[in-house]
Amino acid sequence: MADNTFEAIVVGSGISGGWAAKELTERGLKTLMLERGHDIKHVTDYEQSNKPVWQYPHRGGRTQKMIEEYPVLKRDYPLNERSLHWWVKDSECPYTETKRFDWFRGYHVGGRSLMWGRQTYRWSDIDFGANAKDGIAVDWPIRYKDIEPWYTHVEKFAGIQGTYENLPQLPDSHFLPGMPLNVVEKDVAARVKQHYNNKRTIIIGRTAHVTEPIPGRTPCQYRNMCANGCPFGAYFSTQSSTLPAAVATGNLTLRPFSIVTEIIYDKDTKKAKGVRVLDSETNQTYEFFSKVVFVCASSFNSTWLLMNSATNIWPEGLGSSSGELGHNVMDHHFRCGASGDVDGFEDKYYYGFRPTGFYVPRFRNLPGDEKRNYLRGFGYQGAANRQGWSREVREMSIGADLKDMLAEPGPWRIGATAFGEILPYHDNTISLDKTKQDKWKLPVLAMNVTIRENEKNMRVDMQNDMKEMLEAAGVKNVNTYDNEYFPGMGIHEMGTARMGNDPKTSVLNANNQVWDCQNVFVTDGACMTSASCVNPSLTYMAMTARAANFAVDELKKGNL
Amino acid sequence: MDRRELLKMIALATGSAVIGGEFFLSGCTSGAKTEAGFTPTTISLLDEIGETILPATSTPGAKEAQVGQFMKLYVTECYPQVVQDVFMNGISQLQETCKKKHGKLFMDSSVEERAALLNDLEKESKEYNAAQAKKDMPAYEELKKKNRSDQFIASPQHYYTMIKQLTLLGFFTSKQGATLAMRHVSVPGRYDGALPYKKGDKAYS
Repeated sequence: MADNTFEAIVVGSGISGGWAAKELTERGLKTLMLERGHDIKHVTDYEQSNKPVWQYPHRGGRTQKMIEEYPVLKRDYPLNERSLHWWVKDSECPYTETKRFDWFRGYHVGGRSLMWGRQTYRWSDIDFGANAKDGIAVDWPIRYKDIEPWYTHVEKFAGIQGTYENLPQLPDSHFLPGMPLNVVEKDVAARVKQHYNNKRTIIIGRTAHVTEPIPGRTPCQYRNMCANGCPFGAYFSTQSSTLPAAVATGNLTLRPFSIVTEIIYDKDTKKAKGVRVLDSETNQTYEFFSKVVFVCASSFNSTWLLMNSATNIWPEGLGSSSGELGHNVMDHHFRCGASGDVDGFEDKYYYGFRPTGFYVPRFRNLPGDEKRNYLRGFGYQGAANRQGWSREVREMSIGADLKDMLAEPGPWRIGATAFGEILPYHDNTISLDKTKQDKWKLPVLAMNVTIRENEKNMRVDMQNDMKEMLEAAGVKNVNTYDNEYFPGMGIHEMGTARMGNDPKTSVLNANNQVWDCQNVFVTDGACMTSASCVNPSLTYMAMTARAANFAVDELKKGNL
Repeated sequence: MDRRELLKMIALATGSAVIGGEFFLSGCTSGAKTEAGFTPTTISLLDEIGETILPATSTPGAKEAQVGQFMKLYVTECYPQVVQDVFMNGISQLQETCKKKHGKLFMDSSVEERAALLNDLEKESKEYNAAQAKKDMPAYEELKKKNRSDQFIASPQHYYTMIKQLTLLGFFTSKQGATLAMRHVSVPGRYDGALPYKKGDKAYS
């Protein structure tokens, strides 16, 4: 085999790309994984992973210089002294905001698998059947039974902690022992359960942390410093999990600094021959060839790559024949909820910093329920904690007593933020803006995305329902809040190359193959046909593993 | 999203004090002018003000944690220009107020006189901040109605609020504050969500 020829090419090395590489190499395919950014080596390159707060000159905050240099990143938490080096420089990679869109990216080996929130939830048939039931967008071409074995497959390897709850709207994963709720969360959970007669539940937030040793991974040490990279490999990332497995096969070649600019399409065979790569360091271009191409470049960049490919056949790009490429952008809308004060429990505290909180599974618009003035639903993520030194102290303003008091844990507070489903609107779009170029003279994306009446109506319940639940549990001074949501802030970009049953209305088929070019698979968030309200990464993992194994089977049968 | 950030967001929304949070979305600056204003004398003064707020007891105080030096860095590099100006002018205002009250500068005042001054300033700053917030409200509401509350820039707070916030931030995130005034375990290794607690036990940093 020539050194530019492989059996499979994977574009991107994040959560989806890592899974594609692992599955394809373990099934014996010589695989090239292309990553546009630099390499980050597991543990040794996590420079900040053991750094205590006092070693940061600005104690973890943000400087005016950072604010000037990162006009997009400054809009939310990613702009801080601790993890800045892992987020994309806005100035090098601009995009066009036809309407405000916050795009927070990680261009390096591992992608956002290094910085993700690690919340992991299965979808249910309520989600896969939602579009068909509501008669909007198109139906998913798969159901829970199609993906269920693949959820189990990825969970056993990734390591998911959680508790078995047997809820129809939130199927249980294959769990490692769950992290516990703390004493206040348990109390509130029991009261809520009783008040709502089991209809609303508070469970531990399920996450991709190992709580028992698995090969190459040490259980979580409860530092809650995941965002700096974990020296114990306790949370799932490409580096801690899928990459070492892929490397161990001897079948993987990883090439960082490789911006894939085009999928090379052969109009005679109607298949992709490989990809064209721009070396982001040298600006040289290269071609690599393979039998299958997995596009896992993160939702919008995967679609950007399709839009830049085969334009001599389809002016709007590879996979555009349905007219749906770049359409139906989704995210999760959030930043609203409620919080309040908890009386009592002064004789209880906690030891260790848990890297998750509690989760409230969706309870609105479930089958058989009273219908709300919106479709779909939302879940909550929250926590109860004793307040820290920055709390308001009314009794005293200065002195030794103030110092002593602030050095002790304060009263308990509890609060939760809702994460709601956004419907797939055809006119929520990304498109190529050829008038603007990035550092490598490549055209950029233009985002035109808004939330609508359905989401706005949902936000009323997202605030009031938590207030009602907390008050029912005896929480005092409960306040609702809405800090406003702008598309992209959820960092759960989905859609733009949706799956479907019909090549006339969807970009991908039930196996994530591009209808117009069946040896190209798109398995990251771009493939999503609807958004559910749960965090999407676990579904990308399962979807990718499923598609990769399908691709190998088809190759073996000679169908690709 | 990161759990701690989520909690911070909740704190912001509920009006709990989050140091620096109100400056996150403010405008641009160049730092050179202010840095020059932080002479060794200014830093000593800020150390002493800090020490009055959080004095040494059986554990170190703000001075040992070098909060004056920290304020120089934080004000110069993290505050927007307009806020820097309020802070710098505030230092002279504080001295003026001290002179009026006690007939001498802060450094020449007794421990009791220093405490009395800061208690006055605490009251003054709270009233000032409340009035500013009230004044800002219509502009905020207007932007919020248009779904653009992100464009809202709050009026700077009273200078004493800044000094106090930076004293707390500088102290409790310093090695002295985090490990001696509070308890610090770098690798807890386990989680206990119902740890017995008695009054006087320090928080974990």
